[in-house]
Amino acid sequence: MMILFTAITYLVYRFAKKVYSKWGLPFFHPLLIVPIVLILIISITHVSANQYLEATKWLSHMLGPATVAFAVPIYRHLTTIKKYLGTIIISITSGTLVAIFSTFGLSKLLHLKYDFVTSILPRSITTPIAIEVSKEIGGLPALTTVFVILTGVIGGVVGPTVLKWLSIRTPIAKGLALGMAAHGAGTNKALDYGEQAATFSSLAMIFAAMITLIWGVLLIPPLMHFHHIF
Amino acid sequence: MKLGVIILQVLIIHVFLFLGAAMKAVLPLPIPASMFGLCLLFLALYLKIIKLEWVEKGANWLMAELLLFFIPSAVGIVNYDEIISIQGAEIVILIGISTIIVVGMTAFIAEKMTKGKGSEQP
Repeated sequence: MMILFTAITYLVYRFAKKVYSKWGLPFFHPLLIVPIVLILIISITHVSANQYLEATKWLSHMLGPATVAFAVPIYRHLTTIKKYLGTIIISITSGTLVAIFSTFGLSKLLHLKYDFVTSILPRSITTPIAIEVSKEIGGLPALTTVFVILTGVIGGVVGPTVLKWLSIRTPIAKGLALGMAAHGAGTNKALDYGEQAATFSSLAMIFAAMITLIWGVLLIPPLMHFHHIF
Repeated sequence: MKLGVIILQVLIIHVFLFLGAAMKAVLPLPIPASMFGLCLLFLALYLKIIKLEWVEKGANWLMAELLLFFIPSAVGIVNYDEIISIQGAEIVILIGISTIIVVGMTAFIAEKMTKGKGSEQP
């Protein structure tokens, strides 16, 4: 079962990734099309979602080491980080604050339920950390995953347009903005602007995750308290 | 044997994840084990306890296939009845507007700061 489901997942993923990188159609984003295809496959073959999840548990488990692996680019780009530390910290701290407050404000406008709000607040950071923040603040990890994925897909589409509107020139600013707003998917998009943009994008993603962990403790609980008052 | 090297290096990275989990068990901080692991691996590289070549290929593979590891949790959403009650279009608009603000704000600040830096060091 484990080998079979892993193989199916991998094949569908490989195919989607190839199509996506060739034509860049947002709908073929691997995180959108692959789960849809797999859900179809398991419902047609009458496999329960839990059986599938049990068999592919080890794939989700790999998110742990994948997060640890980001120590490698940090180490590799240490001199760049030192040089631009101020820019990275200030722009990413602002980015995380804007992400949390704008998401909170818009969720209030839409009258989202309490556990939806806690699930959507960490949406702009990378999934393994978003899930941790979500658990910490009382969200539903599976729901958070969906919001993180949607953010990645949407960020890849609107991000470059916004950069054009504001006529942003430096690859550093482009990379930081995409990594901040749309985590790994943004970093993927940043590759279009060259290697420097991609580097800063992955740095933005790591810093955004770390800073949002802090907000998960200091800022979000009082904010959710405020949610109750209104 | 490229695959063997990757597997071995992913195992080394796992060691840091387990060390991170041990740290989490000792320290009462709301930080995930993987984040502790990241810091430990960074320190080990920085202090030259391990060489970059020992983990580089494994780390590159893990980061390149990051999306693959999200897929089971994305499939797992079918277990949540709450999903049905999502106002789909409204959520997409919410995320869209918020993302435009976040990209704009971050890019604007970073651009202003890097340009300042450029003029200091011509």
